[in-house]
Amino acid sequence: MADPTAQDVLLEPLVKNNPITLQILGLCSSLAVTTNMQTAIVMAISVTLVTACSSAAIAAIRNIIPSSIRIIVQMTVIATMVIVVDQVLQAYAFALSQKLSVFVGLIITNCIVMGRAEAFAMKTGPWLSFLDGIGNGLGYSIVLILVGFVRELTGAGKLFGITILNPVTEGGWYTTNGLMLISPSAFFLIGLLVWLVRTWKPEQMESE
Amino acid sequence: MQRDSIQNVFRVAVLLCLICSVMVSVTAVGLRDTQQQKKEQFRQANILKAAGLWQPEASAEDLFSKHITPVVIDFETDRVTDRFEPGAKELDARTAARTASLSRKVDGSDETGFDVASINVRETYTTVYEVRDNGQLKTLILPIRGYGLWSTLWGFIAIDFTDATSDATSLKVKGLTFYQHAETPGLGGEVDNELWKGKWPGKQIYDSNWEVRLEVAKSADSEYEVDAISGATLTSNGVSNMIQYWLGKNGFGPFIRSLVPQQLASSQIPGAG
Repeated sequence: MADPTAQDVLLEPLVKNNPITLQILGLCSSLAVTTNMQTAIVMAISVTLVTACSSAAIAAIRNIIPSSIRIIVQMTVIATMVIVVDQVLQAYAFALSQKLSVFVGLIITNCIVMGRAEAFAMKTGPWLSFLDGIGNGLGYSIVLILVGFVRELTGAGKLFGITILNPVTEGGWYTTNGLMLISPSAFFLIGLLVWLVRTWKPEQMESE
Repeated sequence: MQRDSIQNVFRVAVLLCLICSVMVSVTAVGLRDTQQQKKEQFRQANILKAAGLWQPEASAEDLFSKHITPVVIDFETDRVTDRFEPGAKELDARTAARTASLSRKVDGSDETGFDVASINVRETYTTVYEVRDNGQLKTLILPIRGYGLWSTLWGFIAIDFTDATSDATSLKVKGLTFYQHAETPGLGGEVDNELWKGKWPGKQIYDSNWEVRLEVAKSADSEYEVDAISGATLTSNGVSNMIQYWLGKNGFGPFIRSLVPQQLASSQIPGAG
């Protein structure tokens, strides 16, 4: 990519270059936090913020980072952002931070954050890197929210904890699908999503 | 290249560490009060949940002050003490553990018993919580803690005194909650699972000789056993151990015993009213 424009870096990761469906990155957390919409959205916002801010920070100092320690520098910047996000969640969204437990801390190891820092922010200015982080974060968010939507609706008959399909256990008609509440279902859903996206955009298929 | 020189590597590393540590410290210190307040509310909510008084739409602080009376007890005498006000910082288990005059090493002696729950030191003064109706004790909520697989689990167990008689088997569990632990999410972390916690109410605690019989067991089939969490043997054992310790004779056992109605007229229980 020579001279990417702001529009490109912001919009391309949404579908065309989606970090989950095309690059197959960040799967671990998308399995773990998508049992309901609330945790999926908080995680999506956290990852988007961390990716954007750490990419911008790394891009700002990219010309003085010695290449021998660049990965360590990137990790330090990312870890700092994640700790800040974790502390803020503990102060202002305590119940949610309990639910997300270790997964906020594990944003540090989310390949999307690290990948954008190394692949994009080390070569581009802070403003574009910031937008690139937002774009990739949003691409991750779309998948997380879609998967969270299907899992919570079919698994618990709820959305944001509000009953939509009245489950049998509470005297309604809907038999909840317990499989949707355990991690493998997210694999199935993401697999189906990858298939759909690649049928729609055959150029994303890997060559044999 | 200037950028890859040794000096620059050190300069960048040191500067970066300084800036990042300042950022982390500023956030941690700046948000500490709010976090503490949230933690306290969460703890109060857990006391209320154990006692079955929790209402999601009401504020934990209001419900707590309306229903619950904190009482300080002294493990040396196993009676209520007025040496400290409830909420005094000396009563914090972590503070007490660091202060020799406020705690005692659990070393197998007669005073402390064996350290089955791996708590290392037992505080001498602790806060328990009472729910009373017209002066009559309805529920007693006791703090418990003990080691699971990775961490110490901190929680509360509530004992139903509604139908308490001098017979030890009349005491039933009202509820159990954990407010702090670091067990594996999805396995040991299932101690937070509502379904599992729902198996506790109604279980008996003591046999007629005041021996703790309540435990977490594989395929539970008696009024003393609660089903273990699958895939979490060590966490389940940890829960059994902490119940064994804290409800036993070196924990709250003698205090609980002093609260049940006595068969014979007895006047030797000052402060237990």
